[in-house]
Amino acid sequence: MNQRLTGFKCKSCGRVMYPKHERCLSCKGTSMGEVELGDQCTLITYTKLYTLPEGIEMPPLTLGIVDFGGGVRAFGQIATDEPKMGMKLRPVWGKLRRLGDKDIYGFKFEPVESG
Amino acid sequence: MRDVAIIGCAMTKFGRLEGKDLMDILVEASLKAIEDAGVGDKEFDAVYVGNMMAGELAHQTAIASALVDRIALFPAAADRVENGPASGASAVKNGFLAIASGLADLVLVAGGEKMTSADTDVITDLVATMTHPTAEYVHGVTLPALAAMLTRLYMERYGLTERHLAMVAVKNHANGLKNPYAHIQRAITIEGAMGSQLIADPLRLYYTCPISDGAAAVVLCPADDAKKYCDTPVRIAGVGQATDVQSVHEREDPAVLKSVRLAARKAFEMAKLEPKDIDVVELHDAFEILEIVQSEDCGFFEKGKGHIAVEEGVTALDGELPINPSGGLKARGHPVGATGVAQIVELVWQLRGEAGERQVKGAERALACNFGGFGNNTVIHILERMD
Repeated sequence: MNQRLTGFKCKSCGRVMYPKHERCLSCKGTSMGEVELGDQCTLITYTKLYTLPEGIEMPPLTLGIVDFGGGVRAFGQIATDEPKMGMKLRPVWGKLRRLGDKDIYGFKFEPVESG
Repeated sequence: MRDVAIIGCAMTKFGRLEGKDLMDILVEASLKAIEDAGVGDKEFDAVYVGNMMAGELAHQTAIASALVDRIALFPAAADRVENGPASGASAVKNGFLAIASGLADLVLVAGGEKMTSADTDVITDLVATMTHPTAEYVHGVTLPALAAMLTRLYMERYGLTERHLAMVAVKNHANGLKNPYAHIQRAITIEGAMGSQLIADPLRLYYTCPISDGAAAVVLCPADDAKKYCDTPVRIAGVGQATDVQSVHEREDPAVLKSVRLAARKAFEMAKLEPKDIDVVELHDAFEILEIVQSEDCGFFEKGKGHIAVEEGVTALDGELPINPSGGLKARGHPVGATGVAQIVELVWQLRGEAGERQVKGAERALACNFGGFGNNTVIHILERMD
């Protein structure tokens, strides 16, 4: 699947937000356009979660906050058991968990091979 | 605006309260608070009940009307107030507003939650539903995970170590041991805490609060009337509340609790006081990292230095600024809707000099910080003894 992680750019002031807000957090503008957040982000903090929420079977689950630059960040699952502060990641589409009787899909973040 | 005083307060024991349902414990705390206020059968104008999960856990809604019914407070106005784990302080704030505005002359505020009859994973999930539905919740976030990520930022940026979290837990357990209302009355050691189960690396079981049942209540009236009922009324000198963006990743700086900063600033401005004027503090240590971060963002310590204050014993019961003499959420327990009210009950006891073995000597002014969501809605009260 060729999906891209998208943010929302305020057409009045240019601020990029993720997730979407109906009014811009900076200027209160209400007109937003979708923008791709890109392929490169950096891990700024993380945890390995041992007490798992419903629909995720194998501990630990690595979760983290990634930074795309320009004040734009996202939260999600980090697809490695060896997370490191500052490591380079990229968004990939995949199954996140089961919730009720549904499989939930979304973006997670996987390490980019260095070199 | 009129000045508002707290003239009565009470709480149930916190813990696993077998054989009592949510309404039973709300009734118990309310009746004791009314008795403590010495208002006899005087008519109440309004009742506010702080609660987060009655609909989900007790399968009961409109619980403020139900409380009025159980204890015959008709025809008092009655509202349930929900603001996540800050529901209790939000309820107190609503009571304050009712008196200050002149709309009411006698108000009961109760907060309660009955949580231990549900499985831990049900509670963890219900609490996680406070997070952003698509940007946080569906990815598997839990509140311990958010606290763990904040802890790691603090370790990286400010040199906090796991030992500091253990020190806060040891202090709060020691205080809880002196509080007959506390859920957990057991001393722990640094080594014991650091050897406990990993919940969300680097967070261990002993750096997180337990799941508890409990209720607390206060009675409010205009400060000018307070001495009619009570020898030692306590004035609500400052109230501050502020919100921040819901997703933690979207905050200006995920290591800053901006809602705490803004709520504290508002409360201090209203009270015309500064952090150095405060003698005793109750903070929202659902996770021990939060006591450290809130102690900074309330203005008591410089950013990044809160853990040094813990190390130096400043926040201990016999320190310069005792934090969580009650044992905090860690030891007193955290029945979410009750917590904000219980913090204020503890501080009223402290200001009246009725806190027994955990009394902070000569305490005249106090601050309570109740933290909703993961810090996207904070309510702070500043209290002052009326002499």
